[in-house]
Amino acid sequence: MVLEKEAFKEFQDVVGVGNIDDGDVITNVYAYNWCMEIFNYMEAKDPVPFSPIPKAVVLPSTTEEVQQVVKLCNKYRIVFKAQSTGLGPWNQPSVDNSIIIDLRRMNNIVKIDEKNLYAVVEPYVSGSQLQVEIMKYGLNCHMPGAGPMVSPLASATSMNGPGFTSPSTGHSARNVLAVEWVLPDGEIMRLGAYGQKNNPDFFYGDGPGPSLRGIMRGWAGTKSGLGVFTKVAVKLFPYPCSTDFIIKGNSPDYDFDIPDFMKLYVMDCGNFKKLEKVMLRIEEEEISFMCSYLSGFAVMAIFSNSIESLMDKVPIGQMKAPLVVIITARTKQEFTYKQKVMDFLIKKFKLENIIGTIYTPKPIFYAEALRSNLGLHGFIATGGFQSSKGVADTAAVCLRSTKSNIPLKQEFIKKKAIANDFGEGTWMTSYESGHYFHMESPTMFDQTEENSVKGMAEYMEKSNQLDLLKHLGAPFFVEGTRMHELFGPHMSNYHLWLRKIKETFDPNNISDSGFYISPQNK
Amino acid sequence: MNEQEYKLMIKRCLRCSICKWIPQLQIKSQKYSTICPSIDMFNFHAYSAGGRIIIALALEMGKIKPSKDLMDIVYKCTECGGCAVACKFLNTLEPLEIIVKLREKLVSLGYGPMPRQQQYIDSIKNYNNPYNEPHEKRLAWLPNDIKIDPHAKTLYFVGCTSSYRRKEIAIATARVMNAANYPFRILSENEYCCGSPILRTGDKNSFINQLNKNIDIIEKEGIKTIVFSCAGCYDTFKVDYPLERDCNFKILHTTELFNELLDIGQLNLIKKVPLTVTYHDPCHLGRNSEPYEEWDGDELQMMPLVSINMPEKPKRCGKYGIYDSPRDLLNKIPGLNLIEMERIREYSYCCGAGGGVKSAFPEFALKTAKTRIEEAENTGADIITSACPFCSTNLKDGIVEKDSNLKFYDISELLLMALGSPNKSIKESSMEVA
Amino acid sequence: MSEEEIYQKLVKICGSKFISKDPKLLEDFSTDLSFVKGNKPKYVVWLNKAKQIEDIVKLANSSGFSIIPVSSSPPIRYHGDTIPQKNNCIIVDLSRMNKILNIDRKNRVIMVEPGVVFGQLLPILQKKGLRLIQPLFPREGKSVLTTALERVPTTIPRYQWDSSDPLLCTEVIFGTGDLFRTGTAAGPGSIKEQKKSGQAQINPMGPTQFSPYRLIQGAQGSLGIVTWATLKLELKPTIQKVFHLQSDNLQDLLNLQHQLLKYRLGDEMLIINNINLACLVKQELEDIKELSSSLAEWNLIFVLAGRGKLAIDKISYQEGDIQQIIEDLELDHLEKVNYITDSKMIYALNESTSYPWRKRLKGSFQDIFFITSYEKIHEFINLVQNEISEDLGIYIQAINQGTSYHCEFDLYYNPNNKVESSLIKEKFLKISLELMESGAFFSRPYGVWAKEVFKRHEVSTRIALKKVKRIFDPNNILNPGVLCFDE
Repeated sequence: MVLEKEAFKEFQDVVGVGNIDDGDVITNVYAYNWCMEIFNYMEAKDPVPFSPIPKAVVLPSTTEEVQQVVKLCNKYRIVFKAQSTGLGPWNQPSVDNSIIIDLRRMNNIVKIDEKNLYAVVEPYVSGSQLQVEIMKYGLNCHMPGAGPMVSPLASATSMNGPGFTSPSTGHSARNVLAVEWVLPDGEIMRLGAYGQKNNPDFFYGDGPGPSLRGIMRGWAGTKSGLGVFTKVAVKLFPYPCSTDFIIKGNSPDYDFDIPDFMKLYVMDCGNFKKLEKVMLRIEEEEISFMCSYLSGFAVMAIFSNSIESLMDKVPIGQMKAPLVVIITARTKQEFTYKQKVMDFLIKKFKLENIIGTIYTPKPIFYAEALRSNLGLHGFIATGGFQSSKGVADTAAVCLRSTKSNIPLKQEFIKKKAIANDFGEGTWMTSYESGHYFHMESPTMFDQTEENSVKGMAEYMEKSNQLDLLKHLGAPFFVEGTRMHELFGPHMSNYHLWLRKIKETFDPNNISDSGFYISPQNK
Repeated sequence: MNEQEYKLMIKRCLRCSICKWIPQLQIKSQKYSTICPSIDMFNFHAYSAGGRIIIALALEMGKIKPSKDLMDIVYKCTECGGCAVACKFLNTLEPLEIIVKLREKLVSLGYGPMPRQQQYIDSIKNYNNPYNEPHEKRLAWLPNDIKIDPHAKTLYFVGCTSSYRRKEIAIATARVMNAANYPFRILSENEYCCGSPILRTGDKNSFINQLNKNIDIIEKEGIKTIVFSCAGCYDTFKVDYPLERDCNFKILHTTELFNELLDIGQLNLIKKVPLTVTYHDPCHLGRNSEPYEEWDGDELQMMPLVSINMPEKPKRCGKYGIYDSPRDLLNKIPGLNLIEMERIREYSYCCGAGGGVKSAFPEFALKTAKTRIEEAENTGADIITSACPFCSTNLKDGIVEKDSNLKFYDISELLLMALGSPNKSIKESSMEVA
Repeated sequence: MSEEEIYQKLVKICGSKFISKDPKLLEDFSTDLSFVKGNKPKYVVWLNKAKQIEDIVKLANSSGFSIIPVSSSPPIRYHGDTIPQKNNCIIVDLSRMNKILNIDRKNRVIMVEPGVVFGQLLPILQKKGLRLIQPLFPREGKSVLTTALERVPTTIPRYQWDSSDPLLCTEVIFGTGDLFRTGTAAGPGSIKEQKKSGQAQINPMGPTQFSPYRLIQGAQGSLGIVTWATLKLELKPTIQKVFHLQSDNLQDLLNLQHQLLKYRLGDEMLIINNINLACLVKQELEDIKELSSSLAEWNLIFVLAGRGKLAIDKISYQEGDIQQIIEDLELDHLEKVNYITDSKMIYALNESTSYPWRKRLKGSFQDIFFITSYEKIHEFINLVQNEISEDLGIYIQAINQGTSYHCEFDLYYNPNNKVESSLIKEKFLKISLELMESGAFFSRPYGVWAKEVFKRHEVSTRIALKKVKRIFDPNNILNPGVLCFDE
């Protein structure tokens, strides 16, 4: 399907020649994404990695161009799906009658405000790009678990938000200050102080009065279901240690000068009960840069850069309840204190740090930890993984969710649909020094094998439904009308309110609702 | 990569976009964080390695058919291999090999090479060089006072670009070897294009013909060591030839040779060269020149869905490219100050010329060169240097286009300066030949 | 429905004992310390169950009267947000809903009803080794929940990870009469079932792809009535060491504070002028005046704290780091003040007061407050000081981990002096408008500010807010007249 000539010309007049394409090749490329085969199968479609094919792809370069594009979509009644770095099936259009707004050309770091400790970015600034620029000021940013190559704007406004450094850098949604937002009807709204006529600025994103961040997103964003975000101000954090980031050697065997004041602990807590106690206690001390529970298999993976190099780490894999903690410091005295605290807690809980004794990771691990690159290790076993679940509340419910999932996962492992992590494959992290916790169940599958894809899809549905049945919080991938209508009645009928928001702000249903919620009867 | 591997691998792209950036851990600034000139220029995802992998898959699945649009996208790639380095930090995909194979498939279906590329392929077939220049003029670069030893064990394979376009590189190389009293021979009228321009555009059959032609001669001449001043020829002989045929000769780039000669005292650099230079790593000398290692192992299924290779399959991602030799060489030149750009070594940013782009998409090649020149300018260097005549051509074009104050010298020319060569040689070496 | 019918329905909901038509009471609710003029409500009703609130809201929808929720009884209200702007209004007083529903030490969270006040809560928390992230020396009788709903700034910037902190989950009745729970309190499962599975309603985001708690916050009761909320707690330190640096050069203190904020050093942290500091720590007027005149104009107060066995180590390393910062910034000349005792300062920072500290100087005050960025603080201070130089309290509170600043100007006056009162009213309005014109962001636009603030704000925000209002309170029965909903 292609755009009508008249429509094509109007879009082209907005973005310029060379920045719109409705050809077969380009549009088919944009129809592909990681895990699309799973989501297709969940919707009773063929398990192929292609979504509906958009009619065209446009590349706007300014907020005004985005606005014009959105207005044209309304005029021609074409659904739009906005994306930036574009990783994941939630970037895909849900209907053929759509265009993709690829925000790649909007890649400015608009402002780094060292005095007010925030940065303003456009959609196609990546996490690592932002990090290296703010490091020059001794600052750091939160990066989602997906990795440093994805967009902080997308994570903050539209996606999820947990990251490996969440104990010290929080959740993407909670780091948002002001936002620039092109609404589904094409109006531009600027949140908070950025919406003032006199001295608009990015330092505050709420008010006047109620905060419209409340309709922007929840624990998950709308995934382009409610407009396009063109700028976001994100809160920044102190860079955790020395900003010297010296990589030597050649890929993939880089070497790294580990900062003086950085230390890794990997300790087996033995069982979930103790793990909960230890994690809560460490986090109360407010000392960790990173504090994650990973299954033994996953701990092996974060220290490996290939499936083969996992093999010499089997002793690590046998840990029952491993806790990975990294402490960092700017000064020697801070580091001494934090080590003292860890030593005290290790003694108190009769733990043993295997780092430096049983296992010493390559220095590059520390670089990857600082640059939030560890999540990508989830792919090394089978080449594919996806997470189910995603509850974020107490440590207790996270571990309960993990535990309750084990028999189900083992069932699908037995079916050879998913790879064997003994059912325990979980990533759990603290947020904001342990004020709440998040877990998800990364599960390895093979996207080239139909049996695995189908099995994975079934497993994910059942795993998420388990949370519903056992009141284990809601998975973070409760999105799309089908899921909302399944979970909503058990959750204060939130879906009815969500739908009202959609109907009110997007009366023409032009912003793709595939991973959001559709208006009634559409 | 065989057909089975190809079909499996094209299903495994995660669409993570890592192929668009230099390795994440190497990023030092926003400005110099990207690796792929193609997506930098054209922006649609299809122009990235990941995008081309999806094209390959869509073709296989019959979702799209070969077309001019498709050709355009597939050929707007310099095959620099930056994507592969970035991707393979953790993954086991082979983005570059997939792109190469995709071009071969297109050619076999009659959708490639691009018209301008076909012209130079025809020129190679007719004149043994891609420049439509008479074969007889291949030796025109050679000054009378260069000493050639027809019985020498080492062959200096000059290459088409140095022979016809960047004569100063050939001259400087020859003079340096003379200065070191290092005997070498040349193939004269028996030197033919290495075939790299053909290979990169997907015409595999024509490439194999060229390869056989060259190896037959080398074997016939009993040559044991070949020295290259062209990174493209070097890479082709070192990496691509052995995939098709046994090659029983040693391959050296001049930067490797000259370093050795300096270390053993055969070369003496006596004159100060008070310049600040920055070095551009040619893709074909750097990341792409890492040879394939044969792997004789087995794939073992550890458990359902999880297989491992025993022993581990060598991962070819530029680790063993030639990075240190040129740098050592530059550091040995008295008075020379070497400043690095941000994107170097296995994550160097392409000059923009390779993969047939210079001929088929000259604007794209030039824009990429300008990007690289700007990066060089930002180091504060006076000079940009490299070790490949093809990079030389495109970067020089970029300097002119950008009206930059930078100058380009090949490493061999800088060495020549340090040898205290007579003015005549330097004049020769800085002469522009169209 | 007739008036009598409505009354009978109200009786059915809450019992006649908890409905009042007392003229004096009604009069009290029609006025407060602000300059907002309003109407008298028809009734005041005291409710203590969510079901009652649901019923009364549904009744309001069908009968056409409006509701203003309050969580504490008069006479102390300041900003005009609970003065009925329309006739035919009922005050819903939630002060009877004063249960502390749950204190969860493990998960550092508390669940409270709207009537729980600081005076009631803080001692209980302290006994359990816990503390609430609280505003500066709040009134004892002030509702803890309402304070969080109003986004009142708190004194420990590094604990404020988001502007909404310490508010977490809520149970709310929207203007439609529908009961809803926000955040992870939404479910699946009832609160009881959630607790059984180990949850504690500590994630405020959601449910799923929106966060209604952010809409209720700052809405001045115009979108929903909250029946309980969970609030974040921190652990009470065992040792607290107060640092007080003073200077006539505000910039020096701002520079130092910026570094402390950047590196997340210190707990309580604020910059305050001599008058306000004196009011905080002294009670008698003469003592206030004496202290105020002995202090430099600008005072940076920060607290280093530690807990447990390594408390001293924690304080010690932070002191060391801060000393290094002071040296690097060449701020050794900043004068350390020792004559306000730590205990007095900590009292003001960690406790509540029966008599509002801002009333201590002259008996009454008008506070002008807004949010701004680091660079603009000086400009706004100059602007205000140009208009009013005497009896002016200034309080600068870094918020949201140092990404912005609550700037507060307290105009003190004698309420019994008509001339003074009239002058202050004039100044209040004039200064407020000048600040708005200069770009001060009035994120909490109470009373007379609202119209002016929204006039100076992009129309798209107003349109969006009105849409939100139409969703959650389509008949505009909740606190009509506030914010921009009635324009």
